[in-house]
Amino acid sequence: MIRKYSVLVSLAVLAVVMLVPFAIVTLNAVRSPADYSANGPLSLPDGLYLDGIIDFWNRVDFGGKLWNSLLISGSVAVLAVVLSVFNAYALGIGRVRGRTWILVVFLVANTLPQEALVYPLYYLSKEVGLYDTRLGVIIIFTVVQSAFGTYLLSSVLGRFPHEILEAAALDGAGKWRALWRVVVPISRPTLSVLLIFFFIWTWNEFFLPLVFLISNENQTVPVALGVLQGDKMMDATMSSASALLGILPAVVFFLIFQRTLTRGVTVGAIK
Amino acid sequence: MFTLRTGAAALAATVMLAALAACGSDGQEGAGAEPAASGPRTLKLWHYESADGAMGKAWAEAVKQFEATHPGVKVQFEEKAFEQIRQSAGMILNSDEAPDVMEYNKGNATAGLLSKQGLLTDLSAEAAKRGWDKLLSPSLQTTAKYDDRGVMGSGKWFGIPNYAEYVMVYYNKDLFEKHKVEVPTTFEQFTAAMDTFAKAGVTPLAVGGAEYPAQQIFYQLALSKAQRPWVDGFQLYKGKVDFHGPEFTYAAETTADWVKKGYIAKDSAGTKAEDMGLSFIGGKYPMVVTGSWWYGRFVTDVKDFEWGSFLWPGNTLHAGSSGNIWVVPENAKNKDLAYDFIDITMKKEIQNLLGNAGGIPVAADPAAITDPKSKELIENFTKLSTADGLAFYPDWPAPGYYDVLVAGVQNLINGTKKPAEVLDELAGPYEENLADLGN
Repeated sequence: MIRKYSVLVSLAVLAVVMLVPFAIVTLNAVRSPADYSANGPLSLPDGLYLDGIIDFWNRVDFGGKLWNSLLISGSVAVLAVVLSVFNAYALGIGRVRGRTWILVVFLVANTLPQEALVYPLYYLSKEVGLYDTRLGVIIIFTVVQSAFGTYLLSSVLGRFPHEILEAAALDGAGKWRALWRVVVPISRPTLSVLLIFFFIWTWNEFFLPLVFLISNENQTVPVALGVLQGDKMMDATMSSASALLGILPAVVFFLIFQRTLTRGVTVGAIK
Repeated sequence: MFTLRTGAAALAATVMLAALAACGSDGQEGAGAEPAASGPRTLKLWHYESADGAMGKAWAEAVKQFEATHPGVKVQFEEKAFEQIRQSAGMILNSDEAPDVMEYNKGNATAGLLSKQGLLTDLSAEAAKRGWDKLLSPSLQTTAKYDDRGVMGSGKWFGIPNYAEYVMVYYNKDLFEKHKVEVPTTFEQFTAAMDTFAKAGVTPLAVGGAEYPAQQIFYQLALSKAQRPWVDGFQLYKGKVDFHGPEFTYAAETTADWVKKGYIAKDSAGTKAEDMGLSFIGGKYPMVVTGSWWYGRFVTDVKDFEWGSFLWPGNTLHAGSSGNIWVVPENAKNKDLAYDFIDITMKKEIQNLLGNAGGIPVAADPAAITDPKSKELIENFTKLSTADGLAFYPDWPAPGYYDVLVAGVQNLINGTKKPAEVLDELAGPYEENLADLGN
């Protein structure tokens, strides 16, 4: 009994700890700057003040940024999953010679800090005319994300039951058909989890979009949030307003796909 | 299950289509840009000041005037994130996406570095032709000129500052009256005033030890014992700086002493600049030593008391410098338009507007500044500037020096290290940087 309650209490404490920053951001997002200066960040706001959110929306053309983020994250999620499936099919099921080393190389690519990748990527994208385009960022993140996807999927597909594939081959399915008709449907839960992770990770990326998306019309949501951070000054209420706007889409996306996520994690690859 | 699957598929399909559409339109834009060069021209302008700040207001007016005097030219203005320019200015300016004119941070590590890499246009001829060199006082010019090594202070013009900034003492008039303290004009009166407050149980100075404010007090103290050659030695590497000489020794010992006497709160080592400002706005401290970048904030946010500002008493040299500078990238496509735009921002009208909006103009007509508080701010700056008293900031001379200074001054405030030990800590990275520069 005591144990049960202690678990409950610690979970509740954890939930509060997780929610407090969110609550503070929300409080300050609807607080007027004068109220902030007078009463500080932790008191309850005097009244509902939405000008901060509205001003920020108009100032950075937030609708456009949302569309850019959606476009980039969505394309990356889909393309990276497709690319990961191809790679993992070859590595996990096809059992290419030296696949361990290939996987190690993929992992290294995934763990490299982005700061180290920036200059080579910058020169490459400039050479091919993709600097300051959304397509350039989509290609870069498709590769970055699929490096992880390949690693994960290869180990999942490495344990794929060969009997099923042999049965498919006996029925006359070629490699291509076996991939789309057998492997992909069976691994669907894992693939949807990957898709959602790729979407959220790409959505939250800051550094590379900051460097590669120069024009305001190409920028993503996290980059737009940076506009408010000055050299020496910061605008606390408007920063909170922007932070609230910035995390809402990710929260909404998570709530929509939450069931897929939990199912994918618990089910595993094989039905 | 079914709806979810179709939902995901629909999402995927939309996104793919959109991606294709976006790629298509990008291509068209690229193709359409070339014939445009012979048609109506555009001036691509970037800065990172907020629209309702002094610079934002003045520059918006400058854009209007530019468009009025340049029929057929459109100004394409983009408000940039400071962080973006800081991280990737070098890469942007090295590409075709470079703007025609852009605000950039002054200093060796920023404008100096880009000038050394050949990414900025030499403005010397324009500065002489259009008289910018006569509008700017010598210490303002320091941050506009960079030599072949990218060190500021001499060489060619690579930037034009529009405004200035300096460190001063803001004071709460109501608290001064309550404790019967006069505005100090000498250093002795200043310490006497702080003593009165401390004896009455009020900590006189709001200090942010976790960020730049504490090191600026430290630097002001060093400057009180210094002359221009010492500043030139420390900031421009002309001559050797002795970290155990009278200037820094006095600064370190006095800072530690002020904590002992209660002028600076013992727990202020962990305070951020934002919290320091808020505590002054909240009327908790009679004085705060900080820069003119707080001025606009105090004007709008201080509601409950009267306040004013004075120069750090007794000093001829003060922390301060030109503001950020206009630079023209070497890859700019419309340099002539960029020069015209900079020229407009230096005109009396725009400069006066900047002054009345709470900024410190570099070439305004003092008589045209009507707001009394702005007048005080700008008169103090004129006093300082005519005495050639801008001594820049202590963290400028070496890369990463800011963190070294924060840690050093925190040790002084906490009393964890003796002043002489702190000075050794400050000397190390400075000397290393000198060696790297080959001095």
